[in-house]
Amino acid sequence: MVKVIFTENLKRHIDCPPCEVEAASVAEALAKVFAAHPRLGSYILDDQGGLRKHVMVTVDNNLILDRESLSDPLDQNSEVYVLQALSGG
Amino acid sequence: MLTDEQLLKYSRQIMLPQIDIAGQEALLNSHLLIIGLGGLGAPVAMYLAAAGVGELTLIDDDKVDLSNLQRQIIHQFESIGKDKVESAKITALSLNPETRINIINYRPGEEEMSTLIEQANVVIDCCDNFSTRFMLNRICHNYRVPLVSGAAIRWEGQLSTYTYEQGTPCYRCLYEEDAFNDQTCTQNGVVAPLVGVIGSMQAMEAIKLISGTGHTVTGRLMLFDGMDMSWREIRFKPRPACPVCS
Repeated sequence: MVKVIFTENLKRHIDCPPCEVEAASVAEALAKVFAAHPRLGSYILDDQGGLRKHVMVTVDNNLILDRESLSDPLDQNSEVYVLQALSGG
Repeated sequence: MLTDEQLLKYSRQIMLPQIDIAGQEALLNSHLLIIGLGGLGAPVAMYLAAAGVGELTLIDDDKVDLSNLQRQIIHQFESIGKDKVESAKITALSLNPETRINIINYRPGEEEMSTLIEQANVVIDCCDNFSTRFMLNRICHNYRVPLVSGAAIRWEGQLSTYTYEQGTPCYRCLYEEDAFNDQTCTQNGVVAPLVGVIGSMQAMEAIKLISGTGHTVTGRLMLFDGMDMSWREIRFKPRPACPVCS
């Protein structure tokens, strides 16, 4: 199963518990998570389905390459991590 | 040539074979820019002055406020109302009177910042807004001046270093440039020692860059979560369509 987890910073805005899903790509994994948590999608994706500018996603701690269609492939035991850019100093 | 007093003052660094006399001399001959003298800039300036960096240029347009003192440990109660750069200079000089410290108490535009960065060996980004962060990356890339970037808010911190060497990514490869809202510590809160953790690591990166030792976190983004005391390391590469470095 693919594990999908979210940064602590996001948890203050919306409920986003860790999820486990069957998925072969980042897009598929996030779609399954959003099906269970519908409000979460609009925090992560823009209206074109790409990542919002301040959001980043990693697969097994490597930044994904395709921010638009989220086609980066997943292995059976991949970890997808969703994080935000920080600017505080 | 180090004096007897310098040999004693910096002896605990000089005895490290990775630094030695040559590394300490490199530090003493270096000029670093610190952008932002708040939570992150406080430990950065204090550690780098104490460690023997020869010249620091401190840039911040803010004044010391009572609400800063919980985490911005370079400022003291009696500094409330003073320019942060003036307050920081006083503390840094009390740690190491031989440090040459220049202060700028306004936000330089891109042209003036370019002139400042061109003359520096390393830039340390401790600011609190994305527009400055993207500007620093553009200029540092242009002059190939290493940039040590830190950010911290609430319980989380981020750290990466950009050396702009061939095949390494820049800040813009990691973050999309956009007018998204800055999340400030003023609005969101920050636990006091978090900025010490990230700022201390920024100072460590700067010392390694100047003394030419160790491996910096180039191509890696370090994420710190203070709630469960965990680090995560994210790897990233140059983005083929990066508007700054591709």
